[in-house]
Amino acid sequence: MMSFRFPALAAAALLFPLTATAQETKPVTVKPATTKPAATKPAATKPAEEKPSATEQPPARAPAPPFKMWHPRTPKDEASHKVAKWGPRGLPSPGYAFFGAKILPITSAPIFDGVVITKNGKIEAIGKASEVTVPAGYERVDCGDSTIIPGIVELHCHVASPSFDLNDTVHPTNPEFRTLDLISMEHDQIKVARAGGVSTVLYIPGSGSNMGGFGTLTKTWGKSPEEALVRFPGSLKIAQAGNPERGSGDLGSGMMGMSEGIRMTLLDGKKYWQDMLAFEAGTGPKPVFDPTLDLISGLWRHEYPLSVHTQIYQVVLQTLQELRLELGLWTVIVHGTFDGYRLSEDLLAAGLPVAGGPRAYHFDRKTGSFQGVLANYANGGELGWRQPVYGLGRDGIGVNTDSPVVAQEQLTLQAAMGVRLGLPHEWALRALTINAAHFVGIDHRVGSLEVGKDADLGIWNGDPIDPRSHVRKLVVNGTICYTRDPNRPTW
Amino acid sequence: MRKSTLFVLSLALLSAADLPSQGRGRRGRRPTSAPTPPAAAPKQEEKPKDPKQYTAIVGGDVYIGTGQRLTGATVLIADDKIEKVGHNLKLPEGTTVIDAKGKTVSPGFVIVQGSGMGAGFSSPFKDTVNPFAPDIKQGLAAGITSFLAGSTSSRDRLGGSNAVIKLAYGDVEGMVLKENSVVGISVPLTRTARDSLKTSVKAAKDYLAAVAAYPAKKAKDPKAKAPKKPKSADQILSVLQGKANLWVAFGGGGFNPFRRMAGGGGGASDVASIREALEIAKMFGKGVVIQKPTSAWLVPDEIAATGSSVIISPRTRLPADPKNPDRTGTNIASAAILAKAGVPIAVTCPSGRFGGGGVGTNGILGQDLNTPNVDAAYAVRGGLENRKALRTLTLDAANIMGVGDRIGSLEAGKDADILILDGDPLHYSTFVTTAIVNGKVVYEKGKEALYRHISRPKH
Repeated sequence: MMSFRFPALAAAALLFPLTATAQETKPVTVKPATTKPAATKPAATKPAEEKPSATEQPPARAPAPPFKMWHPRTPKDEASHKVAKWGPRGLPSPGYAFFGAKILPITSAPIFDGVVITKNGKIEAIGKASEVTVPAGYERVDCGDSTIIPGIVELHCHVASPSFDLNDTVHPTNPEFRTLDLISMEHDQIKVARAGGVSTVLYIPGSGSNMGGFGTLTKTWGKSPEEALVRFPGSLKIAQAGNPERGSGDLGSGMMGMSEGIRMTLLDGKKYWQDMLAFEAGTGPKPVFDPTLDLISGLWRHEYPLSVHTQIYQVVLQTLQELRLELGLWTVIVHGTFDGYRLSEDLLAAGLPVAGGPRAYHFDRKTGSFQGVLANYANGGELGWRQPVYGLGRDGIGVNTDSPVVAQEQLTLQAAMGVRLGLPHEWALRALTINAAHFVGIDHRVGSLEVGKDADLGIWNGDPIDPRSHVRKLVVNGTICYTRDPNRPTW
Repeated sequence: MRKSTLFVLSLALLSAADLPSQGRGRRGRRPTSAPTPPAAAPKQEEKPKDPKQYTAIVGGDVYIGTGQRLTGATVLIADDKIEKVGHNLKLPEGTTVIDAKGKTVSPGFVIVQGSGMGAGFSSPFKDTVNPFAPDIKQGLAAGITSFLAGSTSSRDRLGGSNAVIKLAYGDVEGMVLKENSVVGISVPLTRTARDSLKTSVKAAKDYLAAVAAYPAKKAKDPKAKAPKKPKSADQILSVLQGKANLWVAFGGGGFNPFRRMAGGGGGASDVASIREALEIAKMFGKGVVIQKPTSAWLVPDEIAATGSSVIISPRTRLPADPKNPDRTGTNIASAAILAKAGVPIAVTCPSGRFGGGGVGTNGILGQDLNTPNVDAAYAVRGGLENRKALRTLTLDAANIMGVGDRIGSLEAGKDADILILDGDPLHYSTFVTTAIVNGKVVYEKGKEALYRHISRPKH
């Protein structure tokens, strides 16, 4: 049995005294790649006896299979969601033709000297300026040498309101709370989001208790919160460990106790969901309406995911086993930091995506080296195991800031630091846009520049990842909502 | 009479010995022509000179640090000093050559606010430095070759105990460049403190004038008494004589709605408090260094007129006070606006709960000193010219710390504190491949565990 040295973080040592036990549940064998990614079982349930002998050369592995998020997609479209409420689309906006030297649609090849045509909140056409005809009456916006990318999507944000009291710790789990009613488009911090090219945020409660409440997916600009809404609930915020230990409610604060609280709350909602299904099938009485259980039942209907604040190896393992595998819920790791990346192959097998940040590095005390959190999640590698493990790859990695802990405009800096420590540049751009949108199920609306998608455009003066670059204009739902003032681009 | 002659003599010696170019002695330093007792002079001539050790960094793109860049140039180092920088230099025999083709060469980063990295906490720093502190290597990996350690502010009167620390790994004598090159005070001052400071500064100025006039007075009247030094005026005198820079901090709180959430890290400084800092500059008749004036962008010309400099954190965000919106609030364009007015700027990372002046292993990447170039990068994002931005981490920072004659640029005669990097010093993917402090290679990326597993991505 290999032994791993966990980072001797004081907090971790205090909070997780059962390190050794948890380590032993993880066998060290890494099987040669099977052709089907689905056949790779999560490591936690793998048998431990297939350890290769010291003399045996491990066979070369096939490249990692592409990441496929676990999401049954049972409600096929927005209309078939029963609990989730979707915001409006196609609201009136002027006709524009944005010309730029470089357009990065993200999901297709870069277009040089291109144009994006938008009207009524959506992208109508995209292509080379020489090949696309600008319809009559559309305003031509010459963006010169700009790079045009989709509006950036943030998965872990607390800035859509002036309120900092996002940590109501009334009970150990607080699914009865929601951020929907807190959103303010004119809050100072959300102006910074616009100046940073961020057009969509998952605005979630804090991590003071194991369940902070339901988050909201909202645009960073709109004439009203209703117009800006993308979806409520965006997700249920769960903080598996790492902050709730401060104490919430009147129960204990050990990891096992905290997990029990999370499970029981989710199972209450499952029962409500099953009762509701029975009622819909005509085989049971109508359950008494409960707004909180109703929202939890939406998780069991796979209408929106759990977004889980989970960081170190052990806690990520809990998230994987309890939430994703045992309960079978659509789960997204946000705020991924520390050495949770060691589980990258297991997360790949379980279809559990990771948005990393804002820490972006992990100092590995065993080797005395700085490890890139995003890079290791995405690339895999030895990561302390005996043989290299698969990473989540291009499609399984996201990035987040935890703003305003790190200002919202620094989301691209988080990506830059990820690239610095080994994340491929192209993957970083995807992490900021289409991947983040995909993880929370809004990639049919945002995250790339495609005809029919929302007209959310970031017009940058250079490489968006470079912290020296700035946003010249931000377009949200087809409206230019930020134009840089050189005298005061942002406060 | 004899007493006073001795006094004048010692005063003359003192001021000569305090010339800024005189650092703490270190091994291998060239003998200087600084005051030598006359009796010892002939002996020294007979002494055989140590042959100089030459090192040349050849073929890199050299950022001088003043804003200039030489492509494919050579930096020639003699012992611990820069001998010459230029194209096609003739290298002396026996020169060790470091190939920097395809790389960039830059002055080491100079950080105005730091801690750890082998520095002690209080004076005398030369007795408390630890040249083997492991985080020195981390600092060097971040490009830092010098930083200011210790305290730089004091309430109501001049104070502070600090030193410019060099990251001379393994060399205890090379660690301290200068002690107390900075004297600090914080505003707002109480009325009493302000009056007393005014009186003390005037007394110190009078004293210096009297000292200057004394030799002539003495020639006229042999009985003339030497001027008496005012009590506890050492720090004021050192500022007036140019031996120390005066830094002004803001201790008054101000409007900061994010103090709780983002850690705050001190208050905001509105235009009124910046003007109070400038009042102190006028009192001394010299420019001061204003520490983190969040609203300095509103009064760039007033700051420039006093010859003052600023330390700013381009990423600090404080909204305008709704009760005083025209005189408060930060602006990401601060560095650009101040630079345009001619105000020298040093940048520093955000302070508070998640920022910090150290090279920790538990921070947030991009917020601490592990990547000091990020702050300069955000100044560029706010409109500062990329070409000028490196100065905020090199020459201007060194001048602000009062050691610009020794470090901060790659110019002949300056200390050989040099970085070899694998790209533009301000690019986020650039790593330091070699760091040189006092002419010695003290960090090589490939030989340290910190970042050797990462190769610079090609894109």
